[in-house]
Amino acid sequence: MTKKLSLLLAFVFLVSLFTGALAQDNKVTFMSTQFNVVEESDKAKAILAEFGGTADFVPSEEGPMIDLILAEASADEGTVDLLGALHGTFPTLANNDTLFDLTDLLAEIEQSVDVNDSFVELGKLGTEDYQYYIPWMQATYTMAANKQALEYLPEGADINALTWDQLAEWAKNMQEATGEPRLGLPVAGLFHRFLEGYAFPSWTGGMVTGFKTQEAADMLVFMRDQLWPYTNPESINYEFMSEPLLSGEVWVAFDHVARLKAAFDEQPQDFVAFPTPAGPAGRGYMPVVVGLAVPYTSPNPDGADELIKFLLSPETQGAILRDLGFYPVVSGVDTANLPEGVAIQSAAVEALTTAPDGIPALLPVGLGDRGGEINQIFRNAFNRVVLEGQDPMTVLEEEGAALQTLLDETGAPCWAPDPPSDGACQLK
Amino acid sequence: MRKLHWTPYLLLLPSMIYLTLFFAYPMVASLQLAFRKDVQYLKLREEPESDAAETGTLAMQTAVAVLDRMRLEETLPNGRTRPIYWFRVQAEDTEGTTVEGWVNQENIFIESRTQSDTARIVTGEAAKEWTFDFVKRMVNDFRFGKALRTTILLIVLIIPLQFILAIVMGLVLQSGIRFTNFFLYIYAIPLGVSDLASGILWYSIFTQRGFLNSWLVELGLRERPFIFIQSGHENWMILAIVLAEVWRATSIVMVIVVAGLQGIPKDYIEAGQVFGANLWQRIRFIILPRLMPSLQVALILRTILAFQVFAVVVAITGGDVMTVLANETYRWYDPARFNNSNVAAAYAGFIMLLSLGISFFYLRTVRAQEERESQQ
Repeated sequence: MTKKLSLLLAFVFLVSLFTGALAQDNKVTFMSTQFNVVEESDKAKAILAEFGGTADFVPSEEGPMIDLILAEASADEGTVDLLGALHGTFPTLANNDTLFDLTDLLAEIEQSVDVNDSFVELGKLGTEDYQYYIPWMQATYTMAANKQALEYLPEGADINALTWDQLAEWAKNMQEATGEPRLGLPVAGLFHRFLEGYAFPSWTGGMVTGFKTQEAADMLVFMRDQLWPYTNPESINYEFMSEPLLSGEVWVAFDHVARLKAAFDEQPQDFVAFPTPAGPAGRGYMPVVVGLAVPYTSPNPDGADELIKFLLSPETQGAILRDLGFYPVVSGVDTANLPEGVAIQSAAVEALTTAPDGIPALLPVGLGDRGGEINQIFRNAFNRVVLEGQDPMTVLEEEGAALQTLLDETGAPCWAPDPPSDGACQLK
Repeated sequence: MRKLHWTPYLLLLPSMIYLTLFFAYPMVASLQLAFRKDVQYLKLREEPESDAAETGTLAMQTAVAVLDRMRLEETLPNGRTRPIYWFRVQAEDTEGTTVEGWVNQENIFIESRTQSDTARIVTGEAAKEWTFDFVKRMVNDFRFGKALRTTILLIVLIIPLQFILAIVMGLVLQSGIRFTNFFLYIYAIPLGVSDLASGILWYSIFTQRGFLNSWLVELGLRERPFIFIQSGHENWMILAIVLAEVWRATSIVMVIVVAGLQGIPKDYIEAGQVFGANLWQRIRFIILPRLMPSLQVALILRTILAFQVFAVVVAITGGDVMTVLANETYRWYDPARFNNSNVAAAYAGFIMLLSLGISFFYLRTVRAQEERESQQ
C-alpha cells in the first residue's frame, strides 16, 4: 500500500517536473501591479500577444508581489521573469538586493529610442550607476471640466495656464450661479497626491523642506478660506472623480488621469482636460512612473530583456496609450489617430509636463517601505487646518515634527523638487 | 486516589488545537507586531565573508568611509552572474570608538559600488526590542481620539436602540398575532445583506443625488438637494450610520431574543396573568429577567461587533472625515495608504482590549444580578 502510494507520488513529482520544464521553455512570466482590473488586463494581454515570444501576464497587488519576490530570493528559485510596478514598489526589492542591474540593457534600448531622462534617473533609486528599473510608462494628475462650466471661467483666465486663485474664483462663480458647489476633489481617493505634488509645491516650491514654512501655512489658509468653501462637500466620499463628473454632480475636478478616463471615454464631447493650476512658486505636478525590473531569480532573464525591449518600442507605447491610457516614456510615439477621449487627456498631460513654470514633484524616493506614512502626515495637516479649523502654524509644526522623524529614521535624502541633501532631508 | 479521566480532555482537544492555531497564535503574533520593533545592528567582519570574525558593530544610518572594495561573482541558476560586493568600511560606533571591517553590499546604501568612497548603513542583523513607539504613534495621531469618540458614540446610540427594537420585534413574533410569519420574513431580510452592501444602500439614500433628496425636491420640500454627508455635518453622518447599522444588525439580536423567549415556560406568564399582572408587569418581572442570559449573549456579541464597525462607516462617509477604530486599523495597514502594520497591530490590540474589557464587564454585572436574584 505505502509502496504504491510512494510510487504514485514519485510519478506525480516527475510529471510536474516535466511539465514545469516544458512551460519554462521560452515563456516570460510578467507580473504587474498595473492593469489588475479584468478589462485592463485583457487589453494588456492583447497588446502582449504582439510580442514574439510567449508572455504570460500575471496581474498582482503590490504587497503579494513584494512578498513573492522576497520569498523567491531567499529560496534561490524563481517563477517570475519581469516585474511591472510603480516607482514606490521598488525600494523594498532593491534594499534586499533582488534586482538585476539593467544599465547595459537600457543603453542598448537607447540606441533606438530616447527614454525620458528624469525617469531613468528615478529608476536608479538614488544610486549613480545601478539601474534597478527601466521606466515603462507614466501618468500624472490633471484637471477635468464639464463644458457647461466654461462660461463661469473668470474673465481673462486661460484654462491652460490657470492659477489657484482663478480656480477658486471659478468655483465661487459656479456655486453662485448654479446654487451648488461644482468643484470636486477625490478626498476618499488619491487626495494625498494633490497635497504632496500639487498644493505644497505650488506654494513652497518643494514637497517636504518647505512643509512648515509660512508659505505652506498660506496655502492651507487659501484652501480653507477660498477653495474648500466652494468645493462640493461630498468630496469626502469621492474616490474616482469620473463618477461625479459623469453624474453631473461635479463640473470641475482634479484626479489621476486613469481615474478621469471613464468620463473622457464615455462622453468625450462633454468634457475638457487641462493642466493643474499654478501658485506663487510655480505649477506643482506629480509624474507617476511605472517601471520594469528583472529579479535575480528570473528563470528566463533573456526573455525578460526581450520583453522590456518590446514594451519600450514606440509601437507598444502607442498601443498602451490608446488602449490603457498610460503615457509613453520614450520619444517617437505616434499620437495621431488616438481615440477622442485619450487625445483630449493626452493634450492636457502634454501641456502640464511642458509648462514653463512646472515643478515636477516626484514620489518619495528614500523612504523605502515607509513611503506610505508620509501620506498620513499630509492628510492630517489638511484635515486639521481646513476641515477642523485648527491654527495652521501649530498644525504644521506638529505634523512637521512627525515628518522630520520619518525622514531621520529612514535617512532619506531630499528628492526633487527639494534641493539634494547630504544625509537625511531636513525641514526648513 | 481518584482515577484521572482522560475522556473530557480528549473531547476538548480538537477545539483547543483549533483555538490555539487560529486564535491564540495570530493574536500573540499581532501583539508582537504592536510591541516589538526591529532594531538592526550591523556587524563588521574581519574578512569579506559573512561568517568571519566580528570586528565591530554599527547602528543604522551611520555614515561610513569606504576604504576598500572587493567584487565577487555568483552564478545564478538562470545562467547569469550577479555581482556581490564587499566593502571595507571605517566609522565610529555608538560608543565613539572607530571601528573597521568588511560589510556586504546588502547592508549599505552606496551611490556607486565601483566609485563612491562614502556609504550609509541601512540594514543589519535584526534584533527585536520591546517598544511603545507604535502605541505612542497611535495615541498621538490626531485621528485616534476622533476614531475612539465616534466608535463609542455609535455604540451608545446603536445598542440600546437595537435591543429595544429587537425585544419589541421578538414580542410581536411571540404574541401569535396574524401574519407572524410575514413579519419574520420582513425582519430577516437584512440578515442576508453584507455590511458593505447596506452601507452603500444607505449612502445612496443620503447622497446629494440620492433617494431622499429626490423625494425632498419632488415633494417641493426643498428647492435643491441638501448635502447631508459632508465635513461639518457630523450629526447627519452619525444618523445615517446609526440607521444603516440598526437596519442591518437588529435582526441578529432579534433571533437571539426570540430563541430566549421560546425558552420561557408558558406557566410563568400564565401564573402572572392569574395574579393580575398587566402586560408591562409581565414583561418587567417575568420575561425580562428570564431573558437575561440571552440578552447577555446578544449584548456581548453586538458590542464586540460594534467595536469593529467598519464597512458601513467607510461606505457612507468615505472614512476620512469620519473615522472609527477599525477604519484606522485598515488605513495604517493598507499598502496603498500608510503601510505600517505595526501601528495597525497596535490599533487591533486596542480594539481587542476594549472588547475584552466590555465582555468582562457584562459578564460580571449580569452574573451579579443573577446572584442577587438567587439570594432573594
